[in-house]
Amino acid sequence: MPVSRSREAAGRAHSEEETDQVSDPAEDVSTPVIDSSVHVFFRSNADFRDHLREPFRSRGIPDYEMQYYGAPDGEYSPLAGTRDGEHPGSDPDLVGEELFEERGVDIAVLHPMTRGNLPDRHLNSAVYAAHNQMLAERWLDSGTYAERYRGTVRVNVEDVDGALKEIERWHDHPRMVQLGVPLQTRDLYGHPRYEPIWKAACETGMPVAVHVEVGSGVDMAPTPSGHARTYPQYFGFMALNYLYHLMNMIAEGVFEKYDGLKVVWADGGADLVTPFIWRMDTFGRPHLEQTPWAPRIPSDYLPGHVSFVHNSIDGPPDPGIAAEWLAMTGKEDMVMYGSSYPHWHMGGADTLPGGLTARQREKVLWRNAAQLYGIDVAAPVA
Amino acid sequence: MTVTQIHERVPAPALVPVRVVDNDVHPVPKNGQFLDHIPEPYRSRYFMRQRFGETITYDAPDYDEAKAMRMDAFPADGGFPGSDPEMAFQHVIMEAGCDIAILEPGSPEDIRPEIATARAIATNNWLDAQWLSGQGNWHGRWRGSICVAIEDPEGSAREIERWAGHPYMGQILLHAEPRPSWGHPKYDPVWAAATRHDITVACHLGRGAFDNHPRPPVGWPSYNHDFMVTYSLLAANQVMSLIFDGVFERFPTLRIVLVEHAFNWILPLMWRMDAIYAARGGDVPHVKRKPSEYVYDHIFFSTQPLDYPEDKLELTRSLELMRADKLLLFSSDYPHWTYDDPTWVLKHIPEDMRDAIMFKNGIELYKLPESVPPIEGQRRVF
Amino acid sequence: MTVESQPPRPRLAAGREHVVAKVGEIEPGDHKLVPIGRHGVGVYNVDGTYYAIANYCPHEGGPLCSGRLGGRSVTDERAPGGASLVEDGQYIYCPWHQWGFELASGTTAVKPEWTIRTYPVRVENDEVIVTA
Ligand code: FES
Repeated sequence: MPVSRSREAAGRAHSEEETDQVSDPAEDVSTPVIDSSVHVFFRSNADFRDHLREPFRSRGIPDYEMQYYGAPDGEYSPLAGTRDGEHPGSDPDLVGEELFEERGVDIAVLHPMTRGNLPDRHLNSAVYAAHNQMLAERWLDSGTYAERYRGTVRVNVEDVDGALKEIERWHDHPRMVQLGVPLQTRDLYGHPRYEPIWKAACETGMPVAVHVEVGSGVDMAPTPSGHARTYPQYFGFMALNYLYHLMNMIAEGVFEKYDGLKVVWADGGADLVTPFIWRMDTFGRPHLEQTPWAPRIPSDYLPGHVSFVHNSIDGPPDPGIAAEWLAMTGKEDMVMYGSSYPHWHMGGADTLPGGLTARQREKVLWRNAAQLYGIDVAAPVA
Repeated sequence: MTVTQIHERVPAPALVPVRVVDNDVHPVPKNGQFLDHIPEPYRSRYFMRQRFGETITYDAPDYDEAKAMRMDAFPADGGFPGSDPEMAFQHVIMEAGCDIAILEPGSPEDIRPEIATARAIATNNWLDAQWLSGQGNWHGRWRGSICVAIEDPEGSAREIERWAGHPYMGQILLHAEPRPSWGHPKYDPVWAAATRHDITVACHLGRGAFDNHPRPPVGWPSYNHDFMVTYSLLAANQVMSLIFDGVFERFPTLRIVLVEHAFNWILPLMWRMDAIYAARGGDVPHVKRKPSEYVYDHIFFSTQPLDYPEDKLELTRSLELMRADKLLLFSSDYPHWTYDDPTWVLKHIPEDMRDAIMFKNGIELYKLPESVPPIEGQRRVF
Repeated sequence: MTVESQPPRPRLAAGREHVVAKVGEIEPGDHKLVPIGRHGVGVYNVDGTYYAIANYCPHEGGPLCSGRLGGRSVTDERAPGGASLVEDGQYIYCPWHQWGFELASGTTAVKPEWTIRTYPVRVENDEVIVTA
């Protein structure tokens, strides 16, 4: 088992178990590192409300942490630096120091966390807009590390018109590289009501990252069996909800119709796509008759359309099979390293499974994200 | 494939070894066979007053004609596939070559647990009368399932007590859909009764109505295709609940067979659970061992539906990695349209795993005889 | 289902001409299962054109010819529901897992690299002749 599977080890620490194939990205001179998922926040509620206009500023809005399913002992890693009274992941200089100076990251894609799927879509669009505004002015347009940050435009799928306006507002921003939508929805992403957003994503060339919406919103219980009694069950299942979306998008022909659409499943779980796409292909063949809008065999729709952010719990524990496993179903072209900083499970490049080939590490740490986001980082001269 | 063969009704004396155990064959009552078995007052108060027709949602291809069945399994008398023990015997035992088959009738859940239990009682009485103890089992190749309504744990325990010790009841059968997931202590009476009598518990999918469907937290699938593929997530979540809620610590001899939930996902799910446990074991102090160890000691999977990738070597590899001989037992799902033929399944199983998967695991789990009287003309699969 | 027959026995030798029916015996839309080869051959009349296919599905070995004839569904934006059926009656759907095979070509939409065995059929002097 490679390193950093415990909270103590998450982040910088190294374990003696580490195999020689896994090296500290800070020392890894051969490969640039793109951190494809860094979570950013307002510093405080007061800071947040300063960015909201009335009539929204005086509304009741939940905090970033959700009911029932907050991680025991804290949602954020103690290794993520904070200034007194400020939210982790809210200070561009602190985060930049950690990522770029200490962890050897070259470029970081920022993903603002927001305040739950609020039932009032107007209010939620205002919340998203405030986060986007903060992201641009505080992280992308100013500060020591602005050149090394890229941003995610949060859009409200329950307010398609509002989402289109938000895309219009930001898509020309040179450092906004993708759209961000919640994993928790009322309808699966194959539903046609989302199509205007997919269309805009294709037109602007922005991938769409799907991430668990934090905060207390109007969501369903997180599993098909209702609530989970333990945090491990919640955490184990929650990210897997992406499979419902992905299979539905395939069957509904979304990728057939929007050939340029690229989706990033930002909570990880890529390992599960292998058995599920086998099942989708095997079980699907006769069903193609019911879905002539998706005429190809389902697995054909993965390459070029589907990416994953690596989660520190992902990957096989046995380094002897990691390379083979990552190659199956083409996952080596889909998985991108991402730290999920500052969440408790955040991890450095050392949380990639041991035993990947040099080429696979290069893809996961750098090339897959570079290609997806059009990020140009030259390989340093050795 | 028609049922015209004349068979010898008196088995010959010498014994042949059991080479195929089929753990999923679906019998249904013939018209008029069921009602009398329902206990009062439910029979007159509910069942005789509630009429409903077809309730299909998520239809298999050509449903109106095929009814999600093997079309060659409709009996000539106009009955439903699985209603004629002789036809099933011809198809499953004689032609497919299964030596012993575990019968799994459907006994749908209900919004009123007592109604579901009344239905389960009737199902068990009917199965015993028509398939297990009478002429329907002249060959002795059928084993039954004690159907229970897990949404009524006390009623389930009573039903298990009523049938424990029956010579032809091979297992307990429940449905996967009732909420919450199975780690909840309310289900303990079911596990207690099962382990008291050392009977294996099988879990089959049962669909449902309204929100008793395996409702995904993020929206409804559109087609039978994405619905059935993602159905496996229900079982994946049950596995995490059983383990993280400590059911196997409370019931160290409990054995669970997940029938028709597909199985390839268990390999990456074991990695996932182990990684989460390594990181968050402190959240679940009642869990004493690595989650994958509980899987190997307590959980089994039916081979059907056998899903496979384009490159079948990847399936072989996956079977090796998951040590499939410790996890799988053959099943056909006769007479459903998703039927898997044992000769075909055998082709996909690495040679050194064949005996375990095709018959040994079944014999052990269901305490079956290792040999049976031969029936002339029966196919031998291997 | 159609002119379903008993299991194909006795078996005739494969690889030669077989007179399988009189013209008119198999109505359009119907088929006849004839005892050629190990699993038998289904002879189909599709709007006056005859096709012959092996009664054996390449997927898991199901008895193909006891399945239903059907068509192929295509997107059709003008139609309610957005889909229409075309080429009805030109595909045989396996009774087990519903894979469809085109009678004329033996190919299947669900796995284009797979085909079922088809045999030439011709009509001569009122007789339907299959070369198999
Ligand atoms: S055997 Fe014909 S479709 Fe499977």
